[in-house]
Amino acid sequence: MDALIAKADAAQPLSRKRKRTQPVNAKAGLSQTPDKTSASIAKNTSLPKSLRSRNNEKVEAPQYRHIANPKLRRSLVKTSTHIAQSQALLSDAVDLLPSDETGFVQAEDTMERTWRLSQADIVKEAGGEAARGRLEMKLDGGPYKVRYTKNGRHMAIAGRTGHVASFDTLTGAVHSELQLGETCSDVVFLQDHSFYAVAQQKYVFIYDRDGVEIHKLKAHVSPTRLEFLPYHWLLASVGTGGYLKYQDTSTGQLVAEHRTALGACSVLTQNPQNAVLYLGHQNGCVTLWTPNLPHPAVKVLAHLGPVSSISVDPSESGRYMATAGKDGSVKVWDCRNWKGAVREWNLRSGGKGDAEVEWSQKGVLAVGSGGSVNMYTSPSIKTPHHSLSHPPLYLTHPLPSASHRPITSLRFAPFQDILTIGHARGTSGILVPGAGEGGMDSGEGLDLYEGVKGRREREVRGLLDKIQPDLITLDSELVGSLAAPSKLTIGTTGGSGSSRATEIPFSRLPRAERLRVSGKADLTEEVYSDAGSANENDGKKTTEEREKKKMRGKGKSLKRYLRKQRKNVIDPTAVAIRSKIEKQKSERKAEIRKAKYGDEPQEKSSALDRFKRTSKE
Amino acid sequence: MVKISVLQHDPSSHTATRPGDPTPVSRNLNPLMHPFSRARERTRALNAAKMDRMFAIPFVGALEGHVDAVEVLAKQGDSISTVASGSWDGGVIVHNLSQRTHIVRLPLAHKGKVTGLCFAGDSRLLSCGVDRNVKLWNIGSDEPLNVFPGKHALNSIDHQRSSAMFATASTLVQVWDETKSAPISNLTFPTSTETISSVRFNLSESSILASVGSDRTFTLYDIRTGKAERRVVMQMRANALSWSPTFPTNILLASEDHNLYTFDIRRLDAPSLIYKGHVAAVVSCDWSPTGTEFVSGGWDRTVRIWQTGQGHSPEVYHTKRMQRVTSTLFTTDARFVLSGSDDGNVRIWKGKASERLGIVTARERAAIEYRNSLVDRWKMDKEVGKVARTRHLPKPVYTANKLKNTMLESRRVKEERRRKHTRAGESKPKPERKKVVLVEQS
Repeated sequence: MDALIAKADAAQPLSRKRKRTQPVNAKAGLSQTPDKTSASIAKNTSLPKSLRSRNNEKVEAPQYRHIANPKLRRSLVKTSTHIAQSQALLSDAVDLLPSDETGFVQAEDTMERTWRLSQADIVKEAGGEAARGRLEMKLDGGPYKVRYTKNGRHMAIAGRTGHVASFDTLTGAVHSELQLGETCSDVVFLQDHSFYAVAQQKYVFIYDRDGVEIHKLKAHVSPTRLEFLPYHWLLASVGTGGYLKYQDTSTGQLVAEHRTALGACSVLTQNPQNAVLYLGHQNGCVTLWTPNLPHPAVKVLAHLGPVSSISVDPSESGRYMATAGKDGSVKVWDCRNWKGAVREWNLRSGGKGDAEVEWSQKGVLAVGSGGSVNMYTSPSIKTPHHSLSHPPLYLTHPLPSASHRPITSLRFAPFQDILTIGHARGTSGILVPGAGEGGMDSGEGLDLYEGVKGRREREVRGLLDKIQPDLITLDSELVGSLAAPSKLTIGTTGGSGSSRATEIPFSRLPRAERLRVSGKADLTEEVYSDAGSANENDGKKTTEEREKKKMRGKGKSLKRYLRKQRKNVIDPTAVAIRSKIEKQKSERKAEIRKAKYGDEPQEKSSALDRFKRTSKE
Repeated sequence: MVKISVLQHDPSSHTATRPGDPTPVSRNLNPLMHPFSRARERTRALNAAKMDRMFAIPFVGALEGHVDAVEVLAKQGDSISTVASGSWDGGVIVHNLSQRTHIVRLPLAHKGKVTGLCFAGDSRLLSCGVDRNVKLWNIGSDEPLNVFPGKHALNSIDHQRSSAMFATASTLVQVWDETKSAPISNLTFPTSTETISSVRFNLSESSILASVGSDRTFTLYDIRTGKAERRVVMQMRANALSWSPTFPTNILLASEDHNLYTFDIRRLDAPSLIYKGHVAAVVSCDWSPTGTEFVSGGWDRTVRIWQTGQGHSPEVYHTKRMQRVTSTLFTTDARFVLSGSDDGNVRIWKGKASERLGIVTARERAAIEYRNSLVDRWKMDKEVGKVARTRHLPKPVYTANKLKNTMLESRRVKEERRRKHTRAGESKPKPERKKVVLVEQS
């Protein structure tokens, strides 16, 4: 028995174990410079993680030596090591990835104006493949709406009179062309180009790639605008009835139906970063909607007339919104706070007809109104500006003739420097250097050259990863973040009868509270710090609290604490605080005395001193 | 002169050059290109947790052959597939797990129930029963090699790994030698008058024995000194015990009070951890050879698999027809669990419910690992955690659990109130671990 215990004692617990003295120096020469690239490739090609050796993954990660709990420490170290490793791999991979080049227009001296460039100049400079983006389509179907797929390869157009077509922009192959014979107000692609939805006179219809009618969505009555949320598989529509409806295209269920109560609505757009829908109304309001709220999440009076167009900036995680109204103004808003527009200016056309706004992937804002489309670049339109003057123009493009008016749709092609304008005489694609994002991502399906297999696999994966509509919130990072502190009030078991009903048993209290109740906590400091913080944020206290803490005359928070204690109860905390106050008082006295008489205490000696009790200490 | 550059993609770098080539992959690490990454990962984690539950089919098969309840199971130390079981009908069967066949059937090994069973070396088996005899069998023959007559009904037997000695438990612990017909020593705590229900040799220091008895005791003996070294009296009796295979000083006790306790024998004043989960008496327990988990079976008709160091939420196995579990065993490859129950069957279960048997390709294994790490990362999420944690329980077990919780809660509340109405500082809450041991004797 003793032998066993002696042996077991020799093997100390892990926390106290001595570090093994490995011949580190001998090995260091070999493992100092592992081939990063081969290591990163080997990991993804050969063995699963559990079977791999971990020798070549040495990274610097915090060790959390100050954390006593070994389990917690181990998991923290593991996590941070993992993070450090992936960051190292990432930094390694960034060199290998193709740099995302973008287009640009560079003026050589300050007197040159980029907006003087015409499309002909740009086409001449671009040449080759890029010049094919400049594409005029003369169509007779009336003012056209345009829409691209997520990867920018396919385009759908819908004319007011019922001419709907979808085609491949790279090869020029037409997938389908329909003459529906009734008013079509919008078109949108679903998960990819194999399905698209058209807002027709009465209902929304879904067609497949070849133009075969697949579904008639009777729930969406007289729709005007459509949006598809790709990660949630939701098709949203708004119509003349002013109802916003969400339909799940994977299950077919109508997920939510919101009555806006603001009349007919013809402006709908989505924030691609958090899947919130933005509606623009006749009374000048812009409202933000999620499926799980029956009322708008945000409601802003944006314009003094009907809102004609909204667009959300995809380049800065949906932080900025641009709106155009029939009052002839364009406004850029900061969506983090809604304290007025960041910048606003009046349209040259003076608000005759609808103005359209659209942000590109790289943050170029296109504003189409009257007979021209103006482009603005980012820093100038997002910096606060007081006057109503126009921001510096980047590019401008006049429509060929007055018969092209009105401009009904502006869409930037993702991953290309192309802006497609839908107008009364068809569509025209113009080149806007610097509008498109250069780097594509085939894992997300953001790939112009995606093949059939890749598309099919992405569709299945997208369905598996479908996010539930309940998770749409203004803050898209809400999922997985820490929960808000609970509203459970911690009733202290002080014995005051008032809070009996909400009292929590001792064993359910948090540890700090339990320590406090059992008198083991180091309360003097805690109270002290509390008092300090109370003084600091005095201004932020609610009126109730202020009322509670109102004092007459001279008083300190410690004394207030004591006053609240019952005198006949001997509480360890109160005793500690009393002694502390005594101590402070004597110290203060000593200080004053010191200031008065210098270092040496020169008290007046009195005849009565001899009767002083010496054993008071 | 203005410089103009328009974005152009090179199709050849994005498409396969020849048919059959893999499509080139492009990546953009800008987080704006990957919206909802957290929400999507959560969905994936939820799916992974659900898949894990979907694949959780732990029952592998049943080994039949006994007429009455299975009382005891024993594994052979150096074989993966050989397992012996003894029953109330007096029969002993040696099973081959991989083929699910009987190697040996001894239908009348003992008169009355077989209470103890253990392997002695490669091809021999020791059994004891309530007929007071210990029998040594050669696996393969129907007649015992040797019969050791005892004086009392025997309750348990264990063979030393490295020598020819074995110990039996009756009213006292007796140590025998295979070559001698009488016990070579009798071990008992001086003042004890109890029935010993189980006895086990320490796996590393083989002279040390531990036993649990009906007097709510747990006793440690040393056969070199020939006496009982320590004794611990607990609140309730323990039914079975098992020494840890990796930490020689750790011992696991299956207690009548629905809990399992691990003790470090260097500190016997309190258990090192309490494992709560059973809703009836725990009757048997056995460590996995890795020492990271152990299995227990109890009167509540469930088998539970515990992670060492995690005293709650064990894996629960049950079937409709499995009755009270009297014996459990972890196989020597740590992948399977055996349970013998009152209904006369020995059941084989997987050690990890959702593990896939058979060959797993590297790609599949990587996917499984990814899913596991996802569930682990998102286990704090309400839904994911719920799916990963929840186990379906048979209704009697569920209601018993609820009733037990209610009782414990009311007991706790009563204690709270009592303390609140006594003078401050007079009574302090006693930690649960300190309540287990009544007295430690030596």
